[in-house]
Amino acid sequence: MTGRIRRIVASFLILCLGAMSVPVPALAGIVGTDAVVAGVERERVAGLLDRSDVQARLQALGVDPALARARVAALTDEEAAQLAAQIDALPAGGVDALGVALIVFLVLLFTDIMGYTKIFPFTRSMR
Amino acid sequence: MGRRATPAAAGVFILAAVLLAGCAAPQVSALVARPPADLPAAAEIASVPFYAQEDYQCGPASLAAVLQHAGGDATPASLVPQVYVPARKGSLQAEMLAATRRHGLVAYELAPRLEALLREIAAGTPVLVLQNLALDWAPQWHYAVAIGYDLPERSLVLRSGVTRRLAMSLDTFEHTWARSGHWAMLALPPERLPETAKELPYLAAVAALERVVPTAARRGYEAALARWPDSVTAELGRGNASYALRDLAGAAAAYLRATQRHPASADAWNNLAQALIELGSRDEALAAARRAVALGGARLGTYRETLDHILRQP
Repeated sequence: MTGRIRRIVASFLILCLGAMSVPVPALAGIVGTDAVVAGVERERVAGLLDRSDVQARLQALGVDPALARARVAALTDEEAAQLAAQIDALPAGGVDALGVALIVFLVLLFTDIMGYTKIFPFTRSMR
Repeated sequence: MGRRATPAAAGVFILAAVLLAGCAAPQVSALVARPPADLPAAAEIASVPFYAQEDYQCGPASLAAVLQHAGGDATPASLVPQVYVPARKGSLQAEMLAATRRHGLVAYELAPRLEALLREIAAGTPVLVLQNLALDWAPQWHYAVAIGYDLPERSLVLRSGVTRRLAMSLDTFEHTWARSGHWAMLALPPERLPETAKELPYLAAVAALERVVPTAARRGYEAALARWPDSVTAELGRGNASYALRDLAGAAAAYLRATQRHPASADAWNNLAQALIELGSRDEALAAARRAVALGGARLGTYRETLDHILRQP
């Protein structure tokens, strides 16, 4: 008896989950501005796109799940598709502070020596 | 500042410095040789805030500076949860744009030209740039904010890393910038168009904002219409932003203007039909939907769905 109730409840929950995952277009009948701007190409992208995939990729890279959802929601379809395809290869700006300071020092030192700049008192220009 | 650069990284930096610093860069040389008459020789936006970056956090620090300058409410700490990717130890370009939109601002990707960058600075808009400080095969990606330049001196002024006012040779900058594909973005309130705005890229930027903050996007479309009064996309966008805000009367009015000015725009007729049927004007909606289907085009399927939907209404 309990088994049967359990089965009924389970079937009901499966139905609910199924209904939840059906994509509901937010603007039924309206041609969106993003579609007009990007032309036919974009509709193809939108058709292939699964934003939950991008969200999973961000989470795998250490982003908190609750934050990942809001972050993905602010992406355009093209951006989301790009991240889904190559999130590991795209540039991620983030040199450590010491690295930035070091390269800036070295570049300025070099340009000082070459005579393009005069920043450090201890350099003597080659010119 | 916990981490120390490894000797290998230091070697790369030295090599990069030697390779980058010496030679003149093509765009700089062209600009210095033939400076446009209407481009000031020098400019600097001293009011741009500065946040010294913490390790790997040049993205949040640079973004906070440009968002604040545009009137947004942001700090590096509030932006880390929006753009930082821990395992990549950095921030992605797409997310820098997306976080800008979340603050109700238009995120505009600049044309990959040094002249455009300088023109924006001269107009008072700081430019967030992505540089590769090292080499293509050993990249050191770095975000900074360009706030000033001096063409006769061939120098660019940046808020960068832990340096509040970094004057860098324009040639060195161009080399490091070219390695990121000359990537640069602006953050602007929707009322203010970029100095170098082009119609379609700008409307694409506003359309991206529309899905996040439609009220801000509606102001962006209005500003775009003031600059490009014949833009059917801006008219449509104004209607769509109103529709997203459930201002159906406002949406219908904007779509109607779009159909009057651009009677060949099937998208405008289709959206007008949809707004009208929701307002209860079945006959007018039907006429508009039939115009859209008659005009046809790439989105004929959508127009047919709208028409069928209207025909099913009592």
